[in-house]
Amino acid sequence: MKRIDAVIRPSQLDEVKQRVNALGITGLTVSEVRGFGRQKGHTETYRGSEYTVDFLPKIFVTIAVAEDLVDPVVEAIIEGARTGVIGDGKIFVSSLDDVIRIRTGERGPGAI
Amino acid sequence: MRFLFFERQCGRGSAAISRALLVLLLAQILCGSMWAAFADQAPQPDPAGTATGDKTSVLDAAGNPFVVFEPTDRSSPDYAKNKKAFDEFQAQAAREPLALKLADGVGHDRIGTNFSWTLLTGYLVLFMQAGFALLTCGLVRKKNAAHLMMLNFAAYVFAFLAYYAVGYAFQFGAVAVNASPTNLGGAPTLNHFLIGSGQWGFLGGKGFFLSGPAYDASSNCLTLFEVVFMETAGYIIVGAICERITFWAFLICELFIGGMLYPISGCWVWGGGWLSQLGSSKHLGHGYVDFAGSSVVHSVGGFCAMALALILGPRLGKYGPDGKPRAFPASNIVFVVSGTFVLLFGWMGFNPGSTLGATDLRISVIAVNTNLAAVAGSAAAMLLWYWLFGKPDITMACNGMLAGLVAITAPCAFVSPTASVIIGVVAGVLVCLGVLFNERILKIDDPCGAISVHGYCGWFGAVALGIFADGTYGEGWNGVGAAAYLGKTGQGVTGLLHGDWSQFVVQLGGATLLAIYAFGTTYVVFKAVNAWRSMRVSKDVELQGLDVPEFGMLGYPEDAVQMLSAGSQSPQRAV
Repeated sequence: MKRIDAVIRPSQLDEVKQRVNALGITGLTVSEVRGFGRQKGHTETYRGSEYTVDFLPKIFVTIAVAEDLVDPVVEAIIEGARTGVIGDGKIFVSSLDDVIRIRTGERGPGAI
Repeated sequence: MRFLFFERQCGRGSAAISRALLVLLLAQILCGSMWAAFADQAPQPDPAGTATGDKTSVLDAAGNPFVVFEPTDRSSPDYAKNKKAFDEFQAQAAREPLALKLADGVGHDRIGTNFSWTLLTGYLVLFMQAGFALLTCGLVRKKNAAHLMMLNFAAYVFAFLAYYAVGYAFQFGAVAVNASPTNLGGAPTLNHFLIGSGQWGFLGGKGFFLSGPAYDASSNCLTLFEVVFMETAGYIIVGAICERITFWAFLICELFIGGMLYPISGCWVWGGGWLSQLGSSKHLGHGYVDFAGSSVVHSVGGFCAMALALILGPRLGKYGPDGKPRAFPASNIVFVVSGTFVLLFGWMGFNPGSTLGATDLRISVIAVNTNLAAVAGSAAAMLLWYWLFGKPDITMACNGMLAGLVAITAPCAFVSPTASVIIGVVAGVLVCLGVLFNERILKIDDPCGAISVHGYCGWFGAVALGIFADGTYGEGWNGVGAAAYLGKTGQGVTGLLHGDWSQFVVQLGGATLLAIYAFGTTYVVFKAVNAWRSMRVSKDVELQGLDVPEFGMLGYPEDAVQMLSAGSQSPQRAV
């Protein structure tokens, strides 16, 4: 089992969701986050005083998948999230020790 | 989660406030017994309104009265002519008694029409409170939203009570002496100066607690309209002192404005006081003229706010170690823009309503002028900011509209539409420069731009009257030039560009004096209050946001991670 975390542009969430869904994954969690990578922030003016917007809004997508789905899901996220401009985001893949379904107590790949 | 728990830390000032309110209550009881002293004085008040408005209130379109009174000044060159007119009227009246009876009804209806107009426009001005609340709340940080709303709310409540207790009497207690509101039946019972007399009145002296002489239909119509004007001055200060003032100190500010600061200068200009009478007493134009309060309301409120903001000091983090101002961006632009539109709508009561009568048809010109200055001011601010910073700042576009409105408030009745556009444009530029000047040079932190919008543009509006007034309106204003002015019959208030430099002089002097008065008095009084007890919240409270420490609740509770306490409803389990 693997855990896939992706930081993507808010505008690309729908694309990513559709492509990942098409692969038949059974769950996906998103959160609104802020951060910066190479894109960095930019400067704005409010009533004559400058301020920097350092942390830009991004969407953090978390998906737990079985081993065989890792590559197709990563491909799908890249396809959905890529615009080619700096600030498209990153994908992190890590191994997952266990998964538990709270309702039934089921464990392991069957709980994904 | 410290802020989710009850913290008691604002007990000091609230005790002082409670004591002050108790004193007010006692004063009211005393005053209630005192007004018996006025009870036998003529004229008698008319609380039911059944004796207000008769044939003497009937006027034609040009303002000529229906009833011709017997001339009293035998030395006047017109005595013979006037006496003849009076005799003819008497003879005619004797032949047609029914006409006189009819005139009594017409006069009463005329006053009734004016009452409706004045009260309804007063309600519009009242609604400006909602606009100010939205505007200021949108311009500050989210963590202070409840604080801002409560300041706006409490401003209405406490300033109103102070105005009821003493403010109205100070301002209008002698209005019938020189500035009788004839459109509303004249308020004849308010005829005594506490300080001064005749053309040199400094403080009104009748109508404390709206009892006795002020318990009168004509006077109360004026009261409602004027109290909402005072409220405007009262909540102007919120924009400059928010995000750092304690609630008890704010209440003292409101009692001070509603009971002292505003009524005193208001008496000088609108209560028949000395500034308005400079035309009769010193031959300076029509005396100091401020139609709807650029200076009386706005610059007094704005410069009072300036003194308070100076005493409080800037918000934490507003200026970096290098002294450069930092931006605290507005939390809700939707509130800012909708609040500004509510204010624009309310201003349609503020200016046209200041005729105190729908029978004064200048109201249409006033409404158009007011709107023109508003859009011109906004356009100027928008374009100037576009040019200076590359993007038009929405909050400055809104400030520009308010600047135009504030500046046209004094001259709206006396100038042409073209002059209104010019005044609006100048105000729109002035407000932008004022905001930058305060922020970068004076380093007075004014979160909502109140000092620039109301203080600077208010002063400018009163001066602009002295420049642009074109003489088409205001014949006989402040008792000057009823027969002829500048050698012309029907010539009204006239500015520098139309040939009356003395009007410009009195406007410039009067507006400057009011600004200095408002700033100076506030600074002295509140420097003392601040020395007694700091009017500012502690550093911790300011960083956390004033909502919870001062009021025990957040403006936006969904921003806090809520913990369900034992007694609260837990989510239902799915069965």
